[in-house]
Amino acid sequence: MSTGDVAGGPALESDREQLLAETFVALADTLVDDYDVVDLLHQLVDACVNLLGVTAAGLLLDDQRGNLAVVASSNEETRLLEVLQLQSDAGPCLECVRTGVPVSVDDLEVDQDRWPVFAAAAMSAGFRSVAAVPLRLRTQTIGALNMFHSAHPVPVNDRRLAQALADVATIGILQRRSTHRSAMMAEQLQHALNSRIIIEQAKGVLAERNGVDMDAAFTALRRYARNHNRKLSELAMDVVRGEIDPTTVQIGRRVP
Amino acid sequence: MLEANRAPLSGTGETDDLDGWARQLDDSAAEHDSVPRRICLLCVRMLSITGAGISMVTNAGNRGVVCATDDVSARIEDLQFTLGEGPCVDAAQSGTPVLIPDLRTPDDIVVDRWPAFIEGAGAAGVRAVFAFPLRIGAINVGVLDVYRSEPGPLHDGQLRAALLAADAAALALLHIDTASDDLFSDNADARATYQLQVHQATGIVQVQLGVPTEEAFLMLRARAFALGRPLVDVATDVVARRLRFSVEDQ
Repeated sequence: MSTGDVAGGPALESDREQLLAETFVALADTLVDDYDVVDLLHQLVDACVNLLGVTAAGLLLDDQRGNLAVVASSNEETRLLEVLQLQSDAGPCLECVRTGVPVSVDDLEVDQDRWPVFAAAAMSAGFRSVAAVPLRLRTQTIGALNMFHSAHPVPVNDRRLAQALADVATIGILQRRSTHRSAMMAEQLQHALNSRIIIEQAKGVLAERNGVDMDAAFTALRRYARNHNRKLSELAMDVVRGEIDPTTVQIGRRVP
Repeated sequence: MLEANRAPLSGTGETDDLDGWARQLDDSAAEHDSVPRRICLLCVRMLSITGAGISMVTNAGNRGVVCATDDVSARIEDLQFTLGEGPCVDAAQSGTPVLIPDLRTPDDIVVDRWPAFIEGAGAAGVRAVFAFPLRIGAINVGVLDVYRSEPGPLHDGQLRAALLAADAAALALLHIDTASDDLFSDNADARATYQLQVHQATGIVQVQLGVPTEEAFLMLRARAFALGRPLVDVATDVVARRLRFSVEDQ
């Protein structure tokens, strides 16, 4: 690993340990508070990119209808979302969820026969390797954390760290108490899935009203939620229902 | 390929025959039942439950019972509207399913929250009740309630069928005629109803037309239908700004 490899490569070892500590402290802080599931899952995929130096990461959940649904991704590029979504039919993520064990492809070009449609899409999106680790609770697998690298295999040494992040995601999804009682897994999963849909609808509203792309819309939404101590999905609901001015969210404060 | 798509991702391996559902829904099309009612009747047949009902609860605050398969189901719906409490009310408010496998040994907190509902439903012979919100993100159209006179959870296959039934019921209440075909078919485009681009596009169209979210969703679907193109393709064009909706076109 050359020191010049900053953009895509992992952080230097000492920096990384610091980052690792900070990440888990931040996650622990989130989990004791009244947190937003989708926001937490985004923190996790971001952490995955920063700590493991992968090019992109995404988190998919079993929608309990026979499909996998994307609930978090490290960027909002349509190409990444498509590669993630494709795996409802076939791909490493689906296999990981079905089997409950990690799956990886070190070189998609060499190994493209295994999932031809997925491999072609992933390569055309600029990815060379892929790995997936399960979100598991005892015997059940509720989803998978999916990582991509543009140049080399997703490092084997880091898979344990990836699994730790996936475990935090699992806890985050299942631990969230509904306001009034401890809820069942199906309730928690459906909550996370519907929250993501509200956020997508809100991104559409923000993007159109403010003339920005989906990435900028999402960044603004997250920033506003954080700065104003709001839950991401509740803020998104206000945006979609017209209860908050989209311009206010985009620029982070009220228009004078 | 079809089998792979249809196999459950996890769970007991017991797969409910969803194609069978679709056929039964079609077969009963000759009858005079409305689509929501047929969905409820199918739930009773497929989920080993005693009864099912659908209530409308819209963003605008309108509410009302759409259908119920038996008197007890009707009572469950009525009770909740009258009392303003119960699993259906919570499901509608939170947008999350509320699953109560046994009303006689529920969380203490539930007893605190729904004292009158638990008493009334118990007296009517309800032991297990499961409420599914009819929602697509911020679009909120109602709740599907199913109940059983015996306690016990829904197993994985039943849960899956109930969620699909709730998806179909949501579309039916939005007056989308193809609600049942869509969700019980193997048509990739039908399953794409829930892809992210569709929801992003819904938000965009909502602003372009100045209409509520549910109307934007309907317009998007109508445009895809009119163009004879897959919904997800039309949505992708909207997100990429290759396609705009304008009030004049509508």
